[in-house]
Amino acid sequence: MPKLLLISLLASASIYSQEVIAPTPEPVGPPRGETIGDYNITNSFETGYRFLLGSGDLDKYRADVNYGSGIRLLSSSLTVDSLDGHGHYFDKILLNTLGLGNDPYQSASLQVEKNGLYRYNLLWRLNDYFNPGLAISAGLHFMNTTRTLQDHDLTLLPQSKVRVHLGFSSDTQSGPALSSVQQFDATGSAFPVFMNVRRHWNEYRLGAEGEWHGFRFNVLHRWDYFKDDSGYNGVASTAFTGFQPNPFVPTPPGLNQFSRSEPIHGSNPGWFGNLFTNHKYWGIDARITYDSGRNDFALNEAAAGLNFGAAANRQIMVSGDARRPVTAGDFNFNLYPTSNLTIANSTSVHSSRIQGDSAYTEFDNGFGSGATMDFRYLGVRTVANTTDINYRVTPWLGLFVSYGYSDRLIRTIEGFTLSGPFANTVYQRDNHLNSARAGVQVRPVKPLAIRLSGEIGRDNLPLTPISNRNYQTLDGRADYRTRRWHLSAAYSEIYNVNSPLSISAYSSHSRNYTADASWSPAGRFSFDASYMKLHLDTVSSLAFFAGETSLQFFQGFSQLYISNIHAANLAVHVTLSRRASLYAGYAIAKDVGGDPVQSLFSSVASFPLTYQSPLARLSIRITPKIRWNAGWQFYNYHEQFGLTVPLQNYRAHTGYSSVLWSF
Amino acid sequence: MDRALLLSLLGCVLAAAQPPPPAGFVGSNVCRACHPDVYLNFYKNPHFISIATGKQPAGRAGCEACHGPGAAHAGSQGKTRIPVAFSQLTPAQTLNACLTCHAHDLGKVNIRRSEHTLNDVACTSCHSIHHAATPRRLLAQPQAELCYSCHSSVRAQFDMPSKHRVNEGFMQCSDCHNPHGTFSPTWAMSQRPPMVEQSLGNEEPCIRCHVDKRGPFAFEHPPVRVEGCEVCHYPHGSTNTRLLRRPVVFTLCLQCHNGAANFGTRNNGVTPLSTIHNLLDPRFQFCTNCHVRIHGSNSDMFFLR
Repeated sequence: MPKLLLISLLASASIYSQEVIAPTPEPVGPPRGETIGDYNITNSFETGYRFLLGSGDLDKYRADVNYGSGIRLLSSSLTVDSLDGHGHYFDKILLNTLGLGNDPYQSASLQVEKNGLYRYNLLWRLNDYFNPGLAISAGLHFMNTTRTLQDHDLTLLPQSKVRVHLGFSSDTQSGPALSSVQQFDATGSAFPVFMNVRRHWNEYRLGAEGEWHGFRFNVLHRWDYFKDDSGYNGVASTAFTGFQPNPFVPTPPGLNQFSRSEPIHGSNPGWFGNLFTNHKYWGIDARITYDSGRNDFALNEAAAGLNFGAAANRQIMVSGDARRPVTAGDFNFNLYPTSNLTIANSTSVHSSRIQGDSAYTEFDNGFGSGATMDFRYLGVRTVANTTDINYRVTPWLGLFVSYGYSDRLIRTIEGFTLSGPFANTVYQRDNHLNSARAGVQVRPVKPLAIRLSGEIGRDNLPLTPISNRNYQTLDGRADYRTRRWHLSAAYSEIYNVNSPLSISAYSSHSRNYTADASWSPAGRFSFDASYMKLHLDTVSSLAFFAGETSLQFFQGFSQLYISNIHAANLAVHVTLSRRASLYAGYAIAKDVGGDPVQSLFSSVASFPLTYQSPLARLSIRITPKIRWNAGWQFYNYHEQFGLTVPLQNYRAHTGYSSVLWSF
Repeated sequence: MDRALLLSLLGCVLAAAQPPPPAGFVGSNVCRACHPDVYLNFYKNPHFISIATGKQPAGRAGCEACHGPGAAHAGSQGKTRIPVAFSQLTPAQTLNACLTCHAHDLGKVNIRRSEHTLNDVACTSCHSIHHAATPRRLLAQPQAELCYSCHSSVRAQFDMPSKHRVNEGFMQCSDCHNPHGTFSPTWAMSQRPPMVEQSLGNEEPCIRCHVDKRGPFAFEHPPVRVEGCEVCHYPHGSTNTRLLRRPVVFTLCLQCHNGAANFGTRNNGVTPLSTIHNLLDPRFQFCTNCHVRIHGSNSDMFFLR
């Protein structure tokens, strides 16, 4: 019994922080499990009731957290192991579930294995996603969908030189949503319409792996099918007036009827090959992938309503296809001339060619506006080479340097025609990135490790004004680890300047400071605390039209965005007695912002807010096989900016009471 | 007690079934005498298969496969150190020891050039072979906790209001990252970000789940294909909804769409707004209200439908 207690205490001492209150991670049942026949079995099940008491903007709560009320199978775990590794049908079963029974995040994983014969893995996941059309970032789009993911992988003869892999994956998203459409004119009048989301993706995989004269190779083919049959309709909607009428549109358009169907069916079948060998002084690994994506689509849209007070109707038909063959290859060559030195060179090539045509026909008030066809080609070819040298000077000192070169060619062809052949326009853009890294690892005493590294990169012609152009990074970390203590401090900085011209001034400077302390002085107590400061300031040039009576064009308007986040975590785990343990935690993320001026067009933009979540849990062992648990977690979201939209603040008390049992 | 006896007998049977070990090797059954706490649970360990199959030579089976020949150690009743004691090894030595068998796993072929290896993070920093917290992959702690123990700033991001559901258990870090190193991320400029696992088509891992963003589309939004999703989104978590890099949509878009020369696929700047967009009108401040297919469209080159 003392041994059981010791193992239980050790297990609980290793628990640091936990960000969500349930399920309960405390151990239950005999740690070594129970032996039945030729198998050993361990299991645990946690069943309980979650509750939610909330106030404020609960739609925002659902978007961020989404735990509700009801009975749940909060978690379960089952392991079955054969004692001698020679089970009849299987040698190992691992089954874990989480949140089954209406939690918004549910999962189940299963592994079944028979030594030398097969290994099967299943991962099933469900995410209940809710987006309430958040006013700041997302505008009108509401979404209340469920996404279900599943992955099945079967390996035959997993320990032999020749293995066979079979796999199946699926991703389904379905549920109601509101989307928006723009109709009748070009004034930007958007109308919300109902959308029934129906998206489905399946992938089948078949591959083999083998060894021959020290080379291991792998070939895999996959078949991939995607379809999106989401349907739209909206009836008797009125004009969207927004938060302020457009001064240039005295009578906003109105939409009375709308329907759209735009089925997309496509596939991305592909091949994957890999070659690998490793010897005493050298090693090679290489891979190649080829994907030939294709989507076929058609769109039929009908709208009726008012345009500047007059009756209007519009019908649009679009059809076509989009194709994207992608070829990618990597070749890595590693050298190990001495036990202290590793030289790795990697060459990568990626080529993707996206093209498609889209035939568009429109009828306005019964009159055809003609049929057009657009063609667009986007080709991206990237070649990259990096060399890494890692040298261990002494057991306590190591160095690494790295140099990388990338060349990317972007080629676009855009075509437009009313009839006859395309009049193509070709554009081309070639850029190079050179980067170098260096780092040092020092271990002056065994528990202490210090790592420093830095990188500098130069890109001559990045695609966008916010891409990395002249950037540098700096990383530093000190770790002190003993059996009972873990202390660490780190600093990370990324600085990017991308401003070849004054009107496109852009710089981004992020600095992250972190400090952590974990202390487990005895099996009965553990403590974990961390503090992070995540600072980002971005200066960017905006160009836009604005005006109350007449439009003015603002170019080179420089805006400084400041995100200055202080975040902290605290967790304490105490074993109160032989039966009871207490866990308490606290997490806070606070963006204190910068300049208090609050205007969307301010030269300084910051959006201070606080998000915090204290939690506490008590777990009591009733019998060696039963525990009772109760926990509470509070979520408080508090915006401090408010601009032109209502605040989305909320407060939510969540919690649970459960029984954790083993049989 | 019965269980211990059963396992002891089982060990004897297994030992008896194997050919006599070569010089220096004593077999795992000898180790059991002094290390019963490890041995009694070893049949649950994935490494137990090296014993169970009975096909591995002495140097690659059981305890001595990792710890080296144990005759001297056992003969001195533990007074001499086992040849390979992982607590005494340097990170590079630990890596070499594990790669003796695991070098052929395709998921680990880039480990020599991984960020972890370059920064002296060895296998035993994350894996605990004899006291694992997870039976799968033998991790020393549950995966997220393990990663957070070094990547504190990432933990802070997952504690923010808008985030991927890692803390909730729906996802794991390894859904997007390969801690053993990856090939170069050539969906962007190949240098950064490191340790992000590509999907099979050498694409970003985001589209493994967000399959509707995968396309191909007749009209692609070029930055999505050229710079990757993170040009607009934070992948871990953010105080901004939908993991956006800026809290207000139009400021995010206008950072690029400012017409500055020498950018964009046409080399003459990313297209600025047209004159209908009066940004004092809130309807134009939510760009994606109208440009609903911002990741790519089949029907409209301006992503309006």
